[in-house]
Amino acid sequence: MQSACQSPTLLARSGADSKSDMAETTLGGGVKAASTSLNNPRVVAAVRMGLAWLILGALVALAFSLHDTPNRGAGASLSLLIGVALGVIFQRGRFCFFCIFRDFIENRNSSGLFALLSALAVGGIGYAIVFGAFMPNPSGQYLPPNAHIGPVSWVLAAGGLAFGIGMALSGACISGHLYRMGEGYARAPFALFGALVGFGVGFFTWHTLYVEAISVAPVAWLPKTLGYGGSLAFHLAVLSLIAVLLLRYLPELPAQAGGKLTWQRIYQAVFVTRWNPLVTGALVGIVGTIAYFRVSPLGVTSQLGSLARTALTEAGWLAERLVGLDSFAGCATRVTHTITNNGFLIGGLVAGSLAIALFTNRFQLSRLTLRNVLTALLGGVLMGWGAMVSLGCTVGTLLSGISAFAVSGWVFGAAVFAGVWLGIKLRLSE
Amino acid sequence: MTIRRLLTLFAVVVLIAGGFAVPSLRARADLPESAVVSTEWLAARLNDPKVRVVEVSVVPGVYERGHIPGAVNFVWHTDLVDPVIRDIASPEAFQKLARAAGINNDTTVVLYGDNNNWFAAWGAWIFTIYGHEDVRLLDGGRAKWERENRPLSTQQVSHPEGNFTAKPARREIRAFLADVLAVVKGEAEGVIVDIRSPAEYEGRIFAPEGFQELAIRAGHIPGAVNVPWAKAVKEDGTFKSVEELRQLYASVGVDGSKKIYVYCRIGERSSHTWFVLSKILGYDVAQYDGSWTEWGNAVGVPIANPAGTVWGRQ
Repeated sequence: MQSACQSPTLLARSGADSKSDMAETTLGGGVKAASTSLNNPRVVAAVRMGLAWLILGALVALAFSLHDTPNRGAGASLSLLIGVALGVIFQRGRFCFFCIFRDFIENRNSSGLFALLSALAVGGIGYAIVFGAFMPNPSGQYLPPNAHIGPVSWVLAAGGLAFGIGMALSGACISGHLYRMGEGYARAPFALFGALVGFGVGFFTWHTLYVEAISVAPVAWLPKTLGYGGSLAFHLAVLSLIAVLLLRYLPELPAQAGGKLTWQRIYQAVFVTRWNPLVTGALVGIVGTIAYFRVSPLGVTSQLGSLARTALTEAGWLAERLVGLDSFAGCATRVTHTITNNGFLIGGLVAGSLAIALFTNRFQLSRLTLRNVLTALLGGVLMGWGAMVSLGCTVGTLLSGISAFAVSGWVFGAAVFAGVWLGIKLRLSE
Repeated sequence: MTIRRLLTLFAVVVLIAGGFAVPSLRARADLPESAVVSTEWLAARLNDPKVRVVEVSVVPGVYERGHIPGAVNFVWHTDLVDPVIRDIASPEAFQKLARAAGINNDTTVVLYGDNNNWFAAWGAWIFTIYGHEDVRLLDGGRAKWERENRPLSTQQVSHPEGNFTAKPARREIRAFLADVLAVVKGEAEGVIVDIRSPAEYEGRIFAPEGFQELAIRAGHIPGAVNVPWAKAVKEDGTFKSVEELRQLYASVGVDGSKKIYVYCRIGERSSHTWFVLSKILGYDVAQYDGSWTEWGNAVGVPIANPAGTVWGRQ
């Protein structure tokens, strides 16, 4: 069985992993083979580090040049940097929704879920602060600009369920595939291609679903009735309650030595040992808040969906206008021929993850079999369809939605969890 | 380098920077200051309680992520129109909005926004309809302010309630279908200006790329002359001089001697031309805000369609 989430080098270095995780892992030949062929591990390490610095340098240079490019500017530049930050945080913190859910379902290990709770708590606080500036009075007829607050209907639940099953089948969610592509997870491109197809299927089903359910679905937003303070209190109370229930499934964290903080220890903490899940989550929450404040809420499917929509529209297969679709906030798709800000974000995410994986020696190409390619494709299709009809994925609808106090975020999150649970129980992930 | 030299260098830099920073506080000489103000003019009056800045942008989040310090936000789709009965904002609603923005009857209102000030110009039209005298546009709009790297703020501002009182709507600056039809039929005197692109005017397309057609016929109102709105501005989005503007419109027979009717697709771009002809040139102008989305769909109303793209044929 192939581990869906972890590179073996990480396991070898961190002490906190459970035994069952270890047992599931098949060691790919990547690093070993390379070192024997080059015969000198120091040369290999130098090449690896050089590549990491090169990628980082190229990203910084691109961010600078985007900033001064007409029609791009700070939005594109920041999107790229936000993507890079996410790539690094996701990779170092192993912030992969599938792994987080599977760890709990299979191994009763809730440490990943604590990262998610931490992200939602910090994100909620951040969003409340930004909302207060953007729209001081939430009780009126408006919704805050761009926030991922979507319609709540059975379509959203169905989308989440399909998305969750797709995650189990393909081994990760869409953001997971993006960052794990940077770690050398070879199934990722197949899953992402499948997601493009799934988006296409979603566009074809959109009209019927919109007319039947989405057009009359309520767009429920807590601050409208509870205010910002009440919503945040409720938000934190729910997260705390979940945390209390999950506490007994939290494995012991590695003991930390006391004493003076040295450069070596900082390096060790940032680049070598497994990040504390609460720290990982808090960083995700902070990046999410910054993204909303400066560009738009975090999401990773808008560029993918736009790509599928543009291709289908131009082939003449898809109606130019998808009724209602463009009126909702979320991971919006449109017909476009340029790289959108979201495109720079996902590009940065993959490149950032690749750079940090090379730097910390966690890059390893995973093995492909006909079976795992096909399941990646099929899982991708399910995820693409789910993300299309739900107006986003685990990042756009779940993370950015719940942080924005949208009921749609919770409904989608619960449905995705149920989908992953179902997928694992049906042994789709094996 | 000695301390002394450093200090000298510092002083020189400060002086040069200061020289650039001192704003010329005068408005452009070739435009009436009572209608159009420059970014310099506005920057020097941001703390003036008699001046209220209003942003009307239509891209969501633009105002929220940074606006001219002190500016209030008017939302075109809900604040300045009544989308349900398809009308301009009611006098009650508009009075409430303006008062909440801290606008008094004698406040100088300066509007600006994205999309070349189109929607800000719509705002100026509504202010004028409800009898507010002193309403002006920021030359070059939001784009110019940003281009000049002037400060933006994300702080929401609240001003003390104003006393603006909406007067009965000035019917003479707003035209309905029947008013324009009377001109077409020769029953009333007037000249009609279509400010859309030549392709829309000729009926080659129904709407600009990316916009819904919303009309089942393409073309223009018979007898209308075509002066695309953008001809009134320079490349950087600032207005041309009064003299240039006068010549531009005079060349197609629009010289203020007859009542002028402007229209576009939904009335947003023609607000811009309404502003130019009315507030800058001082002509007698009415905006037909029903525009092509009403005229093109209306029953029993003639159109001119040089491109021959009549509905159902093609």
